[in-house]
Amino acid sequence: MDAWWMCEVPYPQVPQAVLDAADSVRASLPNRYCDPRVAADLFEEVIDEYLLCDELGLNVCATEHHAGINSLVGSNPMLVGILARQTRKARILSLGTLVSLRREPVRVAEEYATADVISRGRLELGFVKSGGTEMASANANPVNNIERYWEAIDLIGKALTRHDGPFSWEGKHFTHRHVNIWPRPWQERLRMWAATGDPHTAVEVGRRGMVHTLVLRGPEGTRRAYAAYRNARSEAGLPPAPIDNFAYSAFVCVGDTEEEGLRAGGKLLWFLNTSLKSAPQYAQLLPGTAPPPIAGQAWRTRPKAGSGGGVASAQENARKLMSTTVEQAMAQGILFAGNPDSVFAQIKQFHDDVGGFGHLTMIGRTGFMTHAESEKSIRLFGKEVLPRLREIEPATAPLEPAR
Amino acid sequence: MNRQEAGMTQALLPRADRLTVCDVDLEVVRRGSGRVIVFLHGFHTLDPNARFLELLSRRAAVLAPSHPGFGASARPDGFETVYDLVHLYRAFLDGLPDDKVTLIGASFGGWLAAEIAASCPHRLDRLVLVDALGIKLGDRETPDILDVFNTHPDTVRRLSWHDPRRSAPDFDALSDEALTRHARNWEALCLYGWEPYMYNPRLTRWLGRIEIPTLVLWGESDGVVKPAYGRAYASLIPGARFALIDGAGHHPELERPDALADRVFEFLGC
Repeated sequence: MDAWWMCEVPYPQVPQAVLDAADSVRASLPNRYCDPRVAADLFEEVIDEYLLCDELGLNVCATEHHAGINSLVGSNPMLVGILARQTRKARILSLGTLVSLRREPVRVAEEYATADVISRGRLELGFVKSGGTEMASANANPVNNIERYWEAIDLIGKALTRHDGPFSWEGKHFTHRHVNIWPRPWQERLRMWAATGDPHTAVEVGRRGMVHTLVLRGPEGTRRAYAAYRNARSEAGLPPAPIDNFAYSAFVCVGDTEEEGLRAGGKLLWFLNTSLKSAPQYAQLLPGTAPPPIAGQAWRTRPKAGSGGGVASAQENARKLMSTTVEQAMAQGILFAGNPDSVFAQIKQFHDDVGGFGHLTMIGRTGFMTHAESEKSIRLFGKEVLPRLREIEPATAPLEPAR
Repeated sequence: MNRQEAGMTQALLPRADRLTVCDVDLEVVRRGSGRVIVFLHGFHTLDPNARFLELLSRRAAVLAPSHPGFGASARPDGFETVYDLVHLYRAFLDGLPDDKVTLIGASFGGWLAAEIAASCPHRLDRLVLVDALGIKLGDRETPDILDVFNTHPDTVRRLSWHDPRRSAPDFDALSDEALTRHARNWEALCLYGWEPYMYNPRLTRWLGRIEIPTLVLWGESDGVVKPAYGRAYASLIPGARFALIDGAGHHPELERPDALADRVFEFLGC
């Protein structure tokens, strides 16, 4: 198993009273609460942590989110470009530029090709659907977001792999009559990833053979999505995907002792408890968030119980996550924390529970976790956990029926 | 049965509440007889028993289609722009047996009505716009129209109604089916109107082409789009008259149906 470390560079320094009074900590919270001097310190610390990962043999992963306390990385290619130059060995996963929010996928391809060249071929491309508050902050129509997502991926993929002069793209959402990017990427073919949770998207990710990472979905949701991926390939007559095509994203914190790991790891839950707060117009009332029979129920001021249709909506999932405790997070397989032995055992258990995966994308720092705590966790993980994870022989998962 | 009635009945058969236009299966409320009034709804479809439609039907044959994607109307794949809607409704009007009909459009439907009247006036005898959207008047940093998608629902509610407590829908009292319909309307509205937000930057230039008698009516308490916008809208249409409906916000057809219907009848001379 390979491991990828990430920090979304959150900004937890907004006074709690301000956060409590705001109906949303994303999209509408005034940016006067973001002190650029504090932000600069945060970036410096986090980039240093990425460089430490590079030293210790971890790969690195950079995300993108917009206009909120959850992340200051509004421009993924910019951070990826820095990592491309500053790291030396690590593979760099962009997870990713939010392509359904960008008007010009060809520009994204240019940025990625440039970063791949600067890093001399260490870039991997991940794609995330976006949604919620980012529809408002990016002026992006939420109803056909998924269509733009796939079309942008297709166009970026073609721009990165066609080298015989300009080609034309006249798609439904993007038109570009003269595509011919320079530089071309270092790698002939860049591995593509997708972070998603719903079985519907998993099917398409499977057909395309992308690396499928599940973010904080726990064993059941992860098994279901992996199964949808595998079944989609089988139904399309495609060869089974290697275990390397499956990944899982969770909070990870390692301490010298169990107590230390749990104490610092508990700080990671800030992401769930504080940074997800969204006003209803950016969340459950946002058009296109769920099919109308489910979305309609969100207009009730007193929700009816048990109205879900089997698949949890993003909002239902968010509500559950917001009140999560450390014990619950560990029981649900979204936090692996403790001493090195314990963290290894937790990850191994989860790995076995879901039928194996090839990559752990670890959210290593968020909220009020300090630079020192983060560096210590990275060191312990790199020296004492990662070598053992690398030894895990991936089991071949059986084909599971779709549920 | 007069000519209009016979023709309309034929057009709407076999199912009186469905109509297929350009292969799009539409839900249509049809009430009354006489001269034909086509009503294009706003953010949401009107209930077939809505007071406003009932009042109109006392003196006219009312046709109120649900836009594709709204209510129980189908929305074909790729049908997702106001351009599509305008062509659909032009075909709808062309399919009616009547030489000319009266077109009433409210809010989002008012935008459609203005587009249709600017491009296809020969099918219309009169135009009524009610709190209509569709044009850009303010400067680039001053939106004319409340962003109903990116604004807190409590604010949208407050600005939408003259008396929210009396007039705004009680979602807890709605059936699951009605809520599903509401969500479907919301999704379709977003698809059509997200960007540019609820207007066509080109439309202002062409409003001068509307050569039929036009009445612009506006809820005096409309906080979604202010009466001043309505006055300016009317001034861009040659000869158009403007009047306020008191005691109404953005939805006079729901909040003051009697007053709105009176204004319409007065304008139509019926």
